[in-house]
Amino acid sequence: MINPRVDRNTPVIVQGITGRAGRLHSRQMRAYGTNIVGGVSQKIEEREVDGTPVFRSCEEAVRATGAIASVALVGAMQLLDAMREAVAAGIQYLVTPTEGMPVHDALKARRLTRDAGVTWIGASTPGMAVPGNAKLGFLPDDSLKAGPLGLMSKSGTLSYEAGYRLAQRGIGQSVWVGVGGDPVKGTCFPDLVPFFASDAQTEALLIIGEIGGHDEEDLATTLKAENFRKPAFALIAGRSAAEGVAMGHAGALVYGSHGTFEGKRQALADAGVEVFSTLGELVEGIISHFRCQC
Amino acid sequence: MYLIEHDAKELLAEHGVPVPAGCLLDDKVVFDGGLLPPGPWLIKGQIRAGGRGKAGIIREAVTVAEIADHARAMLGTRVKGQRVDAVRVEQKVSGAAEAYLGLLIDPAAGGVRVIMSPRGGVDIETVAAMHIQSEVSPPDIESLCACVRRLAAAMPGVMANALRDAGERLARIFLDCETLLIEINPLFVHPDGRWAAGDAKIVTDDNALPRQPMLRALLDKRSACYPETALKARHGFDYMVVDPAGEIGLLTTGAGLSMMLIDELRQAGLKPYNFLDIRTGGLRGETTRLVHVLDWISAGTNVRVLLINIFAGITDLGEFTRLLVAALPEAPRLDVPVVARLIGNGLPAARKILSKAGIRLHTDLDEAVAEVRSHIEARTSQSHSSA
Repeated sequence: MINPRVDRNTPVIVQGITGRAGRLHSRQMRAYGTNIVGGVSQKIEEREVDGTPVFRSCEEAVRATGAIASVALVGAMQLLDAMREAVAAGIQYLVTPTEGMPVHDALKARRLTRDAGVTWIGASTPGMAVPGNAKLGFLPDDSLKAGPLGLMSKSGTLSYEAGYRLAQRGIGQSVWVGVGGDPVKGTCFPDLVPFFASDAQTEALLIIGEIGGHDEEDLATTLKAENFRKPAFALIAGRSAAEGVAMGHAGALVYGSHGTFEGKRQALADAGVEVFSTLGELVEGIISHFRCQC
Repeated sequence: MYLIEHDAKELLAEHGVPVPAGCLLDDKVVFDGGLLPPGPWLIKGQIRAGGRGKAGIIREAVTVAEIADHARAMLGTRVKGQRVDAVRVEQKVSGAAEAYLGLLIDPAAGGVRVIMSPRGGVDIETVAAMHIQSEVSPPDIESLCACVRRLAAAMPGVMANALRDAGERLARIFLDCETLLIEINPLFVHPDGRWAAGDAKIVTDDNALPRQPMLRALLDKRSACYPETALKARHGFDYMVVDPAGEIGLLTTGAGLSMMLIDELRQAGLKPYNFLDIRTGGLRGETTRLVHVLDWISAGTNVRVLLINIFAGITDLGEFTRLLVAALPEAPRLDVPVVARLIGNGLPAARKILSKAGIRLHTDLDEAVAEVRSHIEARTSQSHSSA
């Protein structure tokens, strides 16, 4: 079972730590409480970044620090190689925010990580967080708040907005996983169902989806098959998009009757999920649910 | 990028796949009989959608005069929401059976799905499931070819050899060109075993473009045909006009939030003009990207207001608003009121900068939308009173 419950002790390395994104996000992750123990970069001249030791390879970094998680902040064309290196070094959690990973590379990466039993979150993800503990990636602090919602999202920005509005109203998250908007990815919605079903801190599920792909439909099937009992809420973007038109994410390409807003809404509703069509309605719906419980 | 049939067939032909001889006529090309294969011909409107035959843009011609008539009748018309900008004229194939062959990325299975059927053609959806064979393969050439051979072995008569040969060739192209989908329907199979791709649908991976020189060259040659991919390859972000008659220009970031905003505006009876995922992280301290977008939005003749919606997770709103205020005068053609809704990092600095520029800042999206509505209503009543 995939268990994304990292904490403030989980030792994390950052691949590409001497790059612009690597530097910035290492600093922000550490400020949030993440235990960044090292970085990896081929740049010979830099031996540390903001006091964090920089290693020449993942293997060296893992050997010296005992890291079990890595956030890879490298270019799209370098990502597959970076992942191979991390898996070979024994990393168990791999978060890859990079956008634009070639789909054929993603297929190879998926097989690689699954065969090795590594949890891969990404690509094209803002990452994941256990609010109040640690975050791997760059989910905005303004949206993070410890609370009862298990949040899984295909869309970064839309989840920031939903998370922020709910946090403002006092409702936070148990664990937040951005699975990313790419069609072929490491961790998919259904993979997270067993964890959220058994996690004691998760009282309800929030799903942020968008048109295209099969993730929401597959999730609906799994929720039914696993007899998921907790309340579940969903918001899906792209209701008014024209068919066959890709908006941003390649995954938002609607192929024929698959992946349409209506298909997803229906599938989730049949699995007992309450599906909302605006942010405002979603927030009010969730708030009234928790109010009724008290 | 979803290739038009002509480009897909050229790509296949370059990789040794037999296709019926043909040529492309765009709306400016004077008909050139020299390129023409022997008749009779099919005249096929080049839009990126299925069901073209049923939509009336695949027609037969026996004389050269008929070719010109059909082409003129189709060119410039709109079918399935797309303009027919070109037609492919190709030699009509007769006396062949129609099979089906498809390869596509299967995200849930994490592999390449190969689909084969001895019956194909326009009614493939109604072919009984028992005739359609399908299997998922790992994404390497040995596994894919083995998968093709297993499926083809179950096909009847001459179909077996033809589908095996075609499948193995397509498997190589699928991997070499990093496609997401190759679908040949119909695959013509002659009684003597010869075969050819009657139609071709190919979707390539935009993310792989930097290392696919052949596709990159195609995109350069025919950028007008693939505007979204060309734009992204050139500028590094996504922009699309969603309603040419739209009244609200959108300056937004994030695909999901931008789509949601379009949904909500439409639900509220408002008319957004464009979709945009500008990726504020990619601005890199320059106004270039913003000026491009503002300029493109100014092409919308009905645009009456610009709505900015940025949730700044990492972006610094102070820097963003500095760039915005610098970019607005650089795009003077967009002369409309600006409504800004910003939230996140650097909000206090952004507030000061916008207030100096006379732009009101909202942190609540609903309030920003209310201001957008008031601008549109004001403009409408203005134009009524002046009329």
